[in-house]
Amino acid sequence: MKIKRSVAIPWHMIFVITIIILLYPIVFALGSSFKTLEDAYNNVLNIIPLNPTFENYITFFNSLPAFKIMMNTFIIASVATIFKLITSFLAAYAFVFLQFKGKNILYFMLISTIFIPFTVTMIPNYLIISDIGLVNSVWGVILPQLANALGIFLMRQSMKTIPISLIEAAKLDHIGHARIMKDIVLPLVRPAVTSTGIWFFITTWNEYVWPVLILKSKENYTLPLALQMYISSEGGTNFTVAMAVSVITMIIPLTLYLIFQKYIIGTFTSSGIK
Amino acid sequence: MKEIRFENVWKSYGKTHVVKGLNLTIHPGERLVLLGPSGCGKSTTLRMIAGLEEITSGDLYLNGVKANDIPSGKRNVAMVFQNYALYPHMNVVENIIYGLKVQKVQKDEIQKRLDAALEMLQLKGYENRLPKDLSGGQRQRVALARAIVKKSDFFLLDEPLSNLDAQLRVSARKELVKIHEMYKQTIVYVTHDQIEAMTIGDRIALMNHGQLQMVDTPENVYNRPANIFTAKFIGSPPTNIVDMDYQDGKVVIGKQSFLLHPMWIRQINECNAKTFVFGIRPEHLEIYKTPQENTLTGTVKYVENQGSSYSIYINLEGHEVIALSEQKNWHPGEMVYLKPKMDRIHIFDQESTQSIGYPQELDLNESSTLNSKINTVTYLS
Amino acid sequence: MGAGTALKNKESWKAYCLLIPTLIIFAIFMFWPFLYTIYLSFFDWNMITPTKEFVGLKNYIDVLSDRNTYKILGNTFIYIAFLLVINCIIPYLFAFVLDSILKRFNGFYKSAIFLPAFISLVVGSILFTWILNPVSGPVAIILGWFGIEMPIWSKLDGWVILVLSLITSWKVFGYNFIVLYASINGISREIIEAARLDNVPLWKIFFHIVLPMSSATGIYVFIITIVQGLQYVFTPIKVITQGGPNYASSNAIYHAYHEAFVLYRTGHSAALSIITMLIFLILLILEFKFVERGIYYEN
Repeated sequence: MKIKRSVAIPWHMIFVITIIILLYPIVFALGSSFKTLEDAYNNVLNIIPLNPTFENYITFFNSLPAFKIMMNTFIIASVATIFKLITSFLAAYAFVFLQFKGKNILYFMLISTIFIPFTVTMIPNYLIISDIGLVNSVWGVILPQLANALGIFLMRQSMKTIPISLIEAAKLDHIGHARIMKDIVLPLVRPAVTSTGIWFFITTWNEYVWPVLILKSKENYTLPLALQMYISSEGGTNFTVAMAVSVITMIIPLTLYLIFQKYIIGTFTSSGIK
Repeated sequence: MKEIRFENVWKSYGKTHVVKGLNLTIHPGERLVLLGPSGCGKSTTLRMIAGLEEITSGDLYLNGVKANDIPSGKRNVAMVFQNYALYPHMNVVENIIYGLKVQKVQKDEIQKRLDAALEMLQLKGYENRLPKDLSGGQRQRVALARAIVKKSDFFLLDEPLSNLDAQLRVSARKELVKIHEMYKQTIVYVTHDQIEAMTIGDRIALMNHGQLQMVDTPENVYNRPANIFTAKFIGSPPTNIVDMDYQDGKVVIGKQSFLLHPMWIRQINECNAKTFVFGIRPEHLEIYKTPQENTLTGTVKYVENQGSSYSIYINLEGHEVIALSEQKNWHPGEMVYLKPKMDRIHIFDQESTQSIGYPQELDLNESSTLNSKINTVTYLS
Repeated sequence: MGAGTALKNKESWKAYCLLIPTLIIFAIFMFWPFLYTIYLSFFDWNMITPTKEFVGLKNYIDVLSDRNTYKILGNTFIYIAFLLVINCIIPYLFAFVLDSILKRFNGFYKSAIFLPAFISLVVGSILFTWILNPVSGPVAIILGWFGIEMPIWSKLDGWVILVLSLITSWKVFGYNFIVLYASINGISREIIEAARLDNVPLWKIFFHIVLPMSSATGIYVFIITIVQGLQYVFTPIKVITQGGPNYASSNAIYHAYHEAFVLYRTGHSAALSIITMLIFLILLILEFKFVERGIYYEN
């Protein structure tokens, strides 16, 4: 149906303005990260630095164990993602292709954990990690995250699109479930696995709530924790360095998003929420 | 011994019974068709043979061994699914040999079987194509090939032709018969299409609402239906079924009656039924413009052109019956005279809906001379 | 033992094997903690001493009789209100507009709006702290051209909640928008075209057709915005205001953390968490009731 241009154009403008508002902070951070402090204070509205400099980045690397912090973030994100994908895939397979007692109740129970606020579990989880002596360590952060309800949900949605007759045909050939998973199901849900993996990686990379409880010393920090050191509500003197660290924290997630966005958006839009 | 035997098998979902007390023996090497309307339990029965459905009660024997708890993969069954179930990410060859590869069959043996199957199903040249690049007919042949290379004793097909258009179906049917003649498996074939059933099956097992109605050769299912359902389901246009009374050797329909041949009078007297239903196929109901001896009178309602003949819909004492004629000069409102061929009538017990049987004379003589004699003899009391 | 049950049992066993990893993790880090928190809510404990003192319902009473609790609960509802308006109502509208009015640049708009969802809220907090700095930030400067002075939001009741909600929304908006758009886009074109042919105005199409037909997703977004939105807000609160000034920016989630890891009153924290959990549970039940009462399902 044709829409009058007089109606469409204002809305286009509204969308563009919205997007400018949403994306301005990123551009602001990028520009400011290359400014000297003086430049940043004097030319607030100017995104482009007068005399671009790397000094903020250098300060970051000099004042903190920056590489280690970046490594911590990367390790936690990767390991947690791999485990979440594996446990979610196996669980979803069981829910979709196998029959067993209590299947529906169990699924419901697992999925409804999405609605449990973290404050309900944070104290005991902290105590557990503390008792095993994993406080202030990478594994202390990873351990509670080895399984994930959203992952099970997304994989299940994707697996349900596979016609059950494919699995039945394989069963008739006396093909075991391990083979079926590897040769038949996995290739067919690869897009969902990829995008769920990317989503997990990015969310774990960006995570703040749990790491801030567990990680205590600077060399064990992740990037978001390191970043928080530069903030105070009045505004501190390390403003431009904070921008540099922000940029570093944003780069990998944004790059992954830009590369894989079609997959990711596809998975979230086709999962048919209910 | 590639026999399949159902002994009092039930399949239920809670209180819903999908297959009720099935007793059926499928002979080694035969082509048995499971036929019936939607929801009659035929697909469920097939899937129970494959082990894809659990048996609620009763026993299933494959090759004489009780198979209820044997996993699908160990039953030596090959199956062609209605939607073919081809692996979308594998090409034709990979689809066909995947099962054999996993079973670790010898490479040269795999190659041998693959070549034979590709040859027989005319798939040479399509080896590297993906299912999405194949036509419906080609996909169906790949599904068949995948089943053949297993060299199983039992070959199950679940409405394999229903997604093909009419022309393809004819050639596909021929291919199936060819395959059977070559490999001689026991074939169980599910369809709702009675023409398909009649052309493919050595025997037809007709089911309705989970119950086996009749299992016999296509000829017998057509000519000697065991009950009213069978008579009505098989044949198109369907058998005319009319309530009747029996009095002094005559079939009474409404205010009219006609005299039965003595062999039928004897048949009725020997059976236990008290009330009856009369059946006659449209092609066996002779129709005349002028009164004849021992005929029923009706008025034409309308005429339908079937292509090779005409279906004449007639009002007979308030019942609608159909007669076939090769002429078209029948007019609505016209009075016509109907004569059922005595060697082709069916009589059923109204209460049990079962056939009261057929006189012995009809067994001995399929030849036309005696039949025409029976039909033309006039017998007025 | 019915026929064929042996097969079914074998399959059950395999299924449980596949589920064991997930079940163990959930048992240890989700279900056990849930029970333990309930247990802790009946004790007085500072996380360090080896013994806990059983106090029955005292924690609950303390929490429910503390004046601050009501301020915090009030804040929680204000947060919810802001979050819903910004992240539920507006994306719904935008999604509808994108689907029915804007035909071009679909991909670009979706992509750009969703982008902030992939950025850490710590980054977001830092960025907005500077951008929204009431004295020297770019927004303050631009407002200054119009003679408007920016309120010092980090010190003001109400304003602080609004700003923190906005910061959180920056991240949440995109996800909700994408999900709602998918649902609206999934409505059969013919239904909408039939309405257009009948000259039904767009706003009516939205309320009478699109809204009901996407309601299952709408309710999901509604619930998720409340449950996850409140948890997301934790990060800006902790990073920027730490709940202040004087609990003005704190909410139930943040305060439970505050009680446990700053004030070391685990009993209070646990009690507050359980109370919050119950409120969420009621929301969950309402959601299922709604969905079952025949609000129109999509397909």
